[in-house]
Amino acid sequence: MKQVSLKIVNITKIFKDFKNNEIRAVDNISFEIIPGEFVTLLGPSGCGKTTTLRMIAGFEKPTEGKIFINDINVVEIPPWKRDIAMVFQSYGLFPHMSVGENIAYGLKMRKIQKEESQKKVKEILRIVGLEGFEDRPPSSLSGGQQQRIALARALVIEPSVLLFDEPLSNLDALLREQMRIEIKRIQKEVGITAIYVTHDRTEALTLSDKIVLMKDGKIEQIGNPEDVYEKPVNKFVGEFMGKIFFFPIQVLDILEKETLVRLKDRVYKIPSLPTDKADNYVLGCRTEALKISSDGPIEGKIKTIVYLGESSEYYIDTEYGEIMIRVLSPFDKNLSEGKSVKIDLVPEIAKIIPD
Amino acid sequence: MEQRNWKIIKFLVVALIAFLVLFWVRKTIRNEFSRLFRENSLNLAYSVSAIEPELLTERFPEILYYISYFDGIELQNRPILDVVKSLPDYEYGIENVLYEEFYISQKTVKIDEKQYFVIFSPITKDYEVMGIMIQLHAAENVLKLFRTVDIIFLIVFLIFIAVFSISTFSIDPVTAYATIITFAIVLTFILYPLYEAVRMTFMRTGTFTTKVWKTVLTERAYLKSFSNSILLGTLTATLSTVIGFLFAFMVTRTNFKGKKFVSFMVNLPLISPPFSLTLSLILLFGSNGLITKQILNLNWDIYGLDGLIIAQTMGMFPIAYLTMVGVLESIDSTLEEAAMNLGASRWKVFRTVTLPLSAPGLLSSWLLVFTNSIADFANPLMLGGKFNVLSVTAYLEVSGMNRLDRGAALSLLLLLPTMTAFYLQRYITSKKSYVTVSGKPSGRIVEIVSPSLKKTLSIIVYLIVAFLIGLYSTIFMGCFVKNWGIDYTFTLSNIVEALQRGRKALVDTTFLAAVAMPIAGIFSMIIAFLIVRKKFPGKKLLQGLVLLPFSIPGTLLGISYVIAFNKPPIMLVGTAAIIIINFIIRELPVGVEGGVAALKQIDPSIEEAAQNLGAPPQTVFSTIVLPLIRPAFISSMSYTFVRAMTAVSAVVFLISPRWYHVSMQIYNFSENLKFGLASVLSALLIIIVLSVFGILRVVVKRSEYLQKTII
Repeated sequence: MKQVSLKIVNITKIFKDFKNNEIRAVDNISFEIIPGEFVTLLGPSGCGKTTTLRMIAGFEKPTEGKIFINDINVVEIPPWKRDIAMVFQSYGLFPHMSVGENIAYGLKMRKIQKEESQKKVKEILRIVGLEGFEDRPPSSLSGGQQQRIALARALVIEPSVLLFDEPLSNLDALLREQMRIEIKRIQKEVGITAIYVTHDRTEALTLSDKIVLMKDGKIEQIGNPEDVYEKPVNKFVGEFMGKIFFFPIQVLDILEKETLVRLKDRVYKIPSLPTDKADNYVLGCRTEALKISSDGPIEGKIKTIVYLGESSEYYIDTEYGEIMIRVLSPFDKNLSEGKSVKIDLVPEIAKIIPD
Repeated sequence: MEQRNWKIIKFLVVALIAFLVLFWVRKTIRNEFSRLFRENSLNLAYSVSAIEPELLTERFPEILYYISYFDGIELQNRPILDVVKSLPDYEYGIENVLYEEFYISQKTVKIDEKQYFVIFSPITKDYEVMGIMIQLHAAENVLKLFRTVDIIFLIVFLIFIAVFSISTFSIDPVTAYATIITFAIVLTFILYPLYEAVRMTFMRTGTFTTKVWKTVLTERAYLKSFSNSILLGTLTATLSTVIGFLFAFMVTRTNFKGKKFVSFMVNLPLISPPFSLTLSLILLFGSNGLITKQILNLNWDIYGLDGLIIAQTMGMFPIAYLTMVGVLESIDSTLEEAAMNLGASRWKVFRTVTLPLSAPGLLSSWLLVFTNSIADFANPLMLGGKFNVLSVTAYLEVSGMNRLDRGAALSLLLLLPTMTAFYLQRYITSKKSYVTVSGKPSGRIVEIVSPSLKKTLSIIVYLIVAFLIGLYSTIFMGCFVKNWGIDYTFTLSNIVEALQRGRKALVDTTFLAAVAMPIAGIFSMIIAFLIVRKKFPGKKLLQGLVLLPFSIPGTLLGISYVIAFNKPPIMLVGTAAIIIINFIIRELPVGVEGGVAALKQIDPSIEEAAQNLGAPPQTVFSTIVLPLIRPAFISSMSYTFVRAMTAVSAVVFLISPRWYHVSMQIYNFSENLKFGLASVLSALLIIIVLSVFGILRVVVKRSEYLQKTII
């Protein structure tokens, strides 16, 4: 499989709405993808991730900026000459062709001999786990199967880059999980460079080598899944990637590799530096960075306990709002609803974020 | 960015070179023609100067001259000397003459808005120069030729610039070419003829005048035609809407017997040839009609307003019916049920629920029929008698009096009400706020008419259908009657004779319709594809232009084609092309609207997927789009074919001895009282049209499963 690098340089896309107002769907973004990498564009709806993907595919022309595939600027190249394949949210299968004809369509466009094309179709159907489906009409398949055909159709032409536009959003939860694993397996098997658009952070976390998190047409953070989850650069990233609580702190001293901060009357040594300079900082803590502890600085009252078997979720009212702490079983039977507790945090996995 | 700058520089350089080359070629051609014309003029001048001056005006009335004998006598038919003296080579010309040489000036002079060549010629007698003669030969022809050459070069240059700029700058040249060609076709064959028609009504021999309009808007006969058109339109529209509503109401709201048959019969007038109902009305109620003369022996005949109303209503109430069925079906009949449960009487339910809800639909179908009625040409031509309507008056002006300008003005006058009614109707249907569409249609019909009323109403429906059947069977009867009105003996000779005499018209028409059919189908699907899927400047304009033929009466389109395409740069009158183009353009809106509706049902990502897999737009269109919108494609083709086979109003201006239309053949036969022959051709047309529809129905049905699988 070809190994292709992709570079997005200062891309901007401006749309005009019906009142002729300019809308910056994508606002001057840049990022790079190394060969064989699986990158996810993640963000809430309207953040410009799909527009970015469509610009890479060639369906939209950037208002400004360049897109390099293997160091060639493709902005002036139409989609049908770009050697990029896309898997669509609504599959985009050709309803008047059989599964085999659907998959062979791209091969036909590349003038590949019929025998060889049939061989390739068989091979790719084996990879996506739908052997012997050649003659079926697409409408007779289930949603998951249709999505696999769409994937096979994209893969069979051995494109430079494979694009996914929220491919799992039309499937039910169980199927989604299966297909997620399947996509990851196939991508690794063929070793293709892939870009995946989604608003589902679980998909992003499980699939990606790299996550590009976007908001309002701008990139908020680029990093591998652990970085983006554990070290959010701002409150938006922190909240988008999962449950997080913020505590206002005072930065006392910034050392070489660690920072001294004060929360109420307690001084913590945080083993990282603030990401950006700011007037005020907060400490971002995921639930796993919080614990119930008799000498914690934060006081609260247990409001609800949700028993989940192997663990329980404690919802505690504090001066910083409601905080959720997960406690593994077996847990302290003395902690019941209505009791006052103290909360401490784990400084090793807390993160200093500009307020 | 540098790449782009390079492209712009390259483009400008090539464009400049192309311009210079074309300019040089144009100049060479002009010089060459000018030399030729001057030579001709000079040759003419030799013979002119040999003629006695007294005979000059008689032999060459168009030549202006000035003669000065050396003995002081001057002769001239126009004061031209002052103008000629202003020529820079005047002195040189005189000098030449003194040496007994002819000389033609390098420049032309302008007298009374006309250009002339100036020839200085000696008048000799016995090899001695007696005087000077200055001849002015009209140069209009050469100037006309120059103008044509200029237009052609301008067009060539524009095409070159368009093609070259697209291939340099566009990343999707095929779509760009398709868009430009579409624009060019639409502008050339819709807007340009209309513009020429309007221009003709304001121009006479090159100057602006409002004379034509003054005549048209003041002469009693013309105004009468206009008010007649409006009167006829109003009456037909009202009657058709009432009958259409009655039929639609009975079909959607009651369970009366023979529903299926009735709705089939009602579709017939929509596709049958325009003269067929008229013909059978004449056969039955004409001055020698079976019923009026043979059975009742009345002194009354059908020609005139009353006959026209009957003919048009029978032909057009199906339009109202189809509109009203759509409206009534979308009104949930549970509303009526609810009203009845609340204790309202049947009449009250009808008056307070059904009628108000269908009011926009009623108005809309009234306007549709109104447009059709006043644009109608076939019925008034044959049945009008002394009752003149605008479309026929315009036709008579053109074909009878050869007054194209008045014909154009009259048919433009017709555009006013048709356009108003058409766009008003569009506006109403675009505001669907009145229609209630519920997710759960109740299959049950709540009968809101009492049984006795239902009986009365269904009898009316049956009577109208029976009348319709009677009209159609009259045509078939007419085929086998020796001499309608006089001798009713059975014969087959009509069929033989009609086939002999009508063969050419039938073959011509079928050929023209068959050529127009696929072109119209593909062209309208391409336009639909461009409109729905592509982004380009001027899209709104293109949509508007494509829709325009909907509201243009055929008479106007026909007249404007004759005006626009009987002169350079596009000379088409008398060819098959002009008829075919006319067929295509007239039915374009229907095809495009069908294609647009079909395309909007299709998920765009299907086409994007194909592009993505390496298919350029033209391949996407042929392998994905066209198969997916096949039903719309086929119905656009069949519609064009049928309408072409049954065309009258526009084609009547465009036919020639070489290319004839069967509708006109039918008209000619019945004008000459050859009713048998007319019947045979009408019946044949009905059979052809019905079988084409039948075949296509089968084809479309086979692709119906497709539509269901497309999201």
